[in-house]
Amino acid sequence: MKIILEAENVTKKYRIGKVDVPALRGVSFKVREGEFISVMGPSGCGKSTLLHILGGLTHPSTGRVVIDGEEISSAKDAHRTSIRRRKIGFVFQRYNLLPTLSAQGNLEIARHIYGDGKRDSGRIAEILALLGLDNKIRHKPSELSGGEQQRVAIARAIVNQPAILLADEPTGNLDSENSDLVLKMLQDLNRQLNQTIIMITHNPEAAAVANHLIEMRDGRIVPHEHDVSWSPTEDKLCI
Amino acid sequence: MRSLATTLAIAMEVTLILMVIGLTQGMIRETTSRMKGIGADIVMQPPNSSVVLAASSAVLPVDKFVNLLQGIEGVSAVSPVLVFWNTEKGSELIFGIDPESFNQISNGFLFLDGKGLEGEFDVLIDDIKASSKKQKVGDPFPFLNRTFRICGIVEHGKGSRVFVPLKTLQSLVGSPGRATLMFLKCPSEEQINPTVARLQQRLPGYQIRPMGEFVSQMSEAFNSDVALRYFLAIVKFIATVVGLFAIFLAMYTAITERTREIGILKSLGASKTYILTVFMEEAFLLCLLGFVFGIALSYFGVWAVGHWSKNLPILLTREWIFKAGLITLASASIGAFYPAVRAANRDPIDALAFE
Repeated sequence: MKIILEAENVTKKYRIGKVDVPALRGVSFKVREGEFISVMGPSGCGKSTLLHILGGLTHPSTGRVVIDGEEISSAKDAHRTSIRRRKIGFVFQRYNLLPTLSAQGNLEIARHIYGDGKRDSGRIAEILALLGLDNKIRHKPSELSGGEQQRVAIARAIVNQPAILLADEPTGNLDSENSDLVLKMLQDLNRQLNQTIIMITHNPEAAAVANHLIEMRDGRIVPHEHDVSWSPTEDKLCI
Repeated sequence: MRSLATTLAIAMEVTLILMVIGLTQGMIRETTSRMKGIGADIVMQPPNSSVVLAASSAVLPVDKFVNLLQGIEGVSAVSPVLVFWNTEKGSELIFGIDPESFNQISNGFLFLDGKGLEGEFDVLIDDIKASSKKQKVGDPFPFLNRTFRICGIVEHGKGSRVFVPLKTLQSLVGSPGRATLMFLKCPSEEQINPTVARLQQRLPGYQIRPMGEFVSQMSEAFNSDVALRYFLAIVKFIATVVGLFAIFLAMYTAITERTREIGILKSLGASKTYILTVFMEEAFLLCLLGFVFGIALSYFGVWAVGHWSKNLPILLTREWIFKAGLITLASASIGAFYPAVRAANRDPIDALAFE
């Protein structure tokens, strides 16, 4: 299967005052197309920093990240933005929907940014229907429940058919019923649409819906016996 | 609320420009149209005198020139006028006229009340002055340390708003037997230009022009007046700065309030240009709304000022509405650019973490 994401010895240091604080200390792994991966670990272990680097929201201090054949880690800002637009979909803990736009408007703006000038209402309606939101397309975020908002956020993240979906604690603000619903939808997207997903979570139950688990501690990946194998030839973790 | 305040500020900018320019243009047009309304065909002034009558001096000997001009072919009537710029309680031109010859030139006043100049200290005022100052026939009219009496109220449009006997004014300003200019009448329109040519030949150096040309030069002189141009430039500058700061503050506040939205757009892959465009478009929309509202406000201002005082004519021209639009657009572009660039350059992670 095609390698969709490759991280190689990624490090990240933040400078706080005169001190360099390491957030990532050399993270390497590969993700194949259609895989659903959970990243777990305690607060401050570097999960969010890793997600931001994978999504091109920030640069690593060293190392490289390749998304669907394009190196994002050393790309200039405009190129990183372009990769993010074409290849990455984000889902956040706080939904991050544009409050003045309806569910449909939030999807349309994603299409607009993607560069599809035509109003692709068919695609939008199809995705909203897939996520059970066909009767909510004209509702604004303030008129939707947390679970519905997160489903709209997922719909927005996949509307441009990204190579990879990055979810940062997608169930962190939801009750258990809505969490289950959102996780089920992520699982369905992965199975039915072969959507590659990397999900950060604190919740072991949420992590369990993924095919594979990456556990992190102190800015490093903790090798896992069951579903993460060490690839000595490539000197990196290969899932 | 912020958008409303910005729209209002831009509307005020447009109104300020249109009202001040409109007032200036209106005054100039009204003055020149009053000059045309006298009915004279030719205006004669001494050498080196200005078409701006307030700046002209009384140096023409009346008797000599009236006799001389009446003897020239094509001149059917001559009326000497002494112009005095009265700065007591405001500023206005007062015409010292010889009623008989002035009537010949102007076909007479249309009296709305009272009668013509008869006594030494009689004064005629036009209806606009009478209504703006709430004056009526018989009321005293203090002027040059004398108390004149309003003897009649006439329809506006005959050169000045105030007319006094020529001899009285000559005596009061210390120019006995002198006039500022002569208004001349020709028997027909065809004879105006040949008569002007004859007069110029007979009186070389004197300013002799057909009324149309005189009025056109007068308008040009007002418009090219340095002080007026500076004044208008300052008004335009202040208006531009007001608009610029209104837009700047609105957009600066907007990007602070919407930092998180900027982060969301960036996470969706919005380029710097896209975000810059979003904020510039918003600024231009506010600018357009403010502009339209400003035009409406200006028309309301014209109506309100006209209702309050007929003495303050305001002229809104398409040219200046267009220019006000350009000034507003310029201030909106400059004012919105820095906040928009700042928004475009925001770090996406910081923006997403913004509370």
